[in-house]
Amino acid sequence: MQGLPRQVPLGGTPLSRQPQPVWDLPVRLVHWLLAALIAFSWWSVHNHHADWHIWSGCAVLTLLIFRLLWGFVGSSTARFSTFVRGPRGVRDYLRGSWRGIGHNPLGALSVLVLFGALGVQVALGLISEDEDGIYTGPLYRLVSSDTSDKARDLHALWFNVILGLIVLHVAAIIFYRMRGERLTIPMITGRAVLEPGTQPMRPGKWWAALICLAVGIGITRWIIAGAPPFGS
Amino acid sequence: MRVVITAAACAMLAACGGQQTSQANNVQANVSNDSRPEQTASSNAVNGMVMLAVPSVSGAAAAKIMHQRHEGMETIGKDFKALHREFDSASPNLALVRTAAGQITGLSHEASGWFPAGTGPDVGKTAAKPEIWQDPKDFAAKLSAFQSAAAALNATTTHNDVGQMKARFADLGNACKACHDKYRSEEHH
Repeated sequence: MQGLPRQVPLGGTPLSRQPQPVWDLPVRLVHWLLAALIAFSWWSVHNHHADWHIWSGCAVLTLLIFRLLWGFVGSSTARFSTFVRGPRGVRDYLRGSWRGIGHNPLGALSVLVLFGALGVQVALGLISEDEDGIYTGPLYRLVSSDTSDKARDLHALWFNVILGLIVLHVAAIIFYRMRGERLTIPMITGRAVLEPGTQPMRPGKWWAALICLAVGIGITRWIIAGAPPFGS
Repeated sequence: MRVVITAAACAMLAACGGQQTSQANNVQANVSNDSRPEQTASSNAVNGMVMLAVPSVSGAAAAKIMHQRHEGMETIGKDFKALHREFDSASPNLALVRTAAGQITGLSHEASGWFPAGTGPDVGKTAAKPEIWQDPKDFAAKLSAFQSAAAALNATTTHNDVGQMKARFADLGNACKACHDKYRSEEHH
């Protein structure tokens, strides 16, 4: 058999070296929209556009609700049940015995902490009022004026926690890149070359994504209306 | 990129109704009508625009005025926040509204004496930007617009038309914002 070319599929690349799905569209959209909205929120509030800042925060809230729900009914790599692991999972990962796609057990912690920190930030923003009392978070009436003022101060301080987590996130990506693993491109294209024998992502249902989005928008609108019996 | 993202975010929340704060009542109208401050003491007194006539201060006098200014602005802020809560409630407490609007109006006139030269950030801790004394005419116009807006709100509170009060309250907010956006720094407290 010497001299015969190895059999390859059409296109000239072995099947196992072709990029396979790892991130679904909703996960990628949530990721990049959050990145953009966090930047926009920071910019707008420092440039006298508190109204845009509040809308941006409401959009973040919608995305967080959507992502939480998608974590139960989404694609295989979107589900918390497939990527959230206990301390033993993290230890095994650090020892190098983890194989799979999507968030690794350590990255899963990062995901939970980031989403938790954003949840805290949104909650503080919802009950805040600005220094002059001109702009208010949609739920500011649920608390006293003093509490709203304190919430605003905490909201500003808490942003440093989020900044720190973002720095850690980006540093981790650079660290993996230096070890030869590219993480950014798959988060854009949704595909990556997998190790032989690894199962690619099982996609979620598009209509399930729509339902999650509808619930996210619905809850956000309810909150914008002032929550329980619509404000007063 | 950012515009696209924002548009997408807004589209997601489209139909959610506007913020109550976005009424674009234009305070410039007030500004152009009643505030062309001239640099003479008499016309300033007539306009309630004594600010430009106040001589430069220093030392303990400056510190005292800066303290008064800070306390005064804090009180105005507390009153404004209280008004916001009342006007957002189904049945505003009009007695509280009258007290707060009256106090803001009174302080708005005191504010004419809060910004003499020599009370800027080079002298002590303050959010007042140096631009106040670099463009005194514009600052005086904005201060005057604030005084007019406060008086206009205060006038509506003698009646019981909450709609009118809310409209004038929105005007007052715009007057606060117009001046603060330009002449107040972020780093303070």
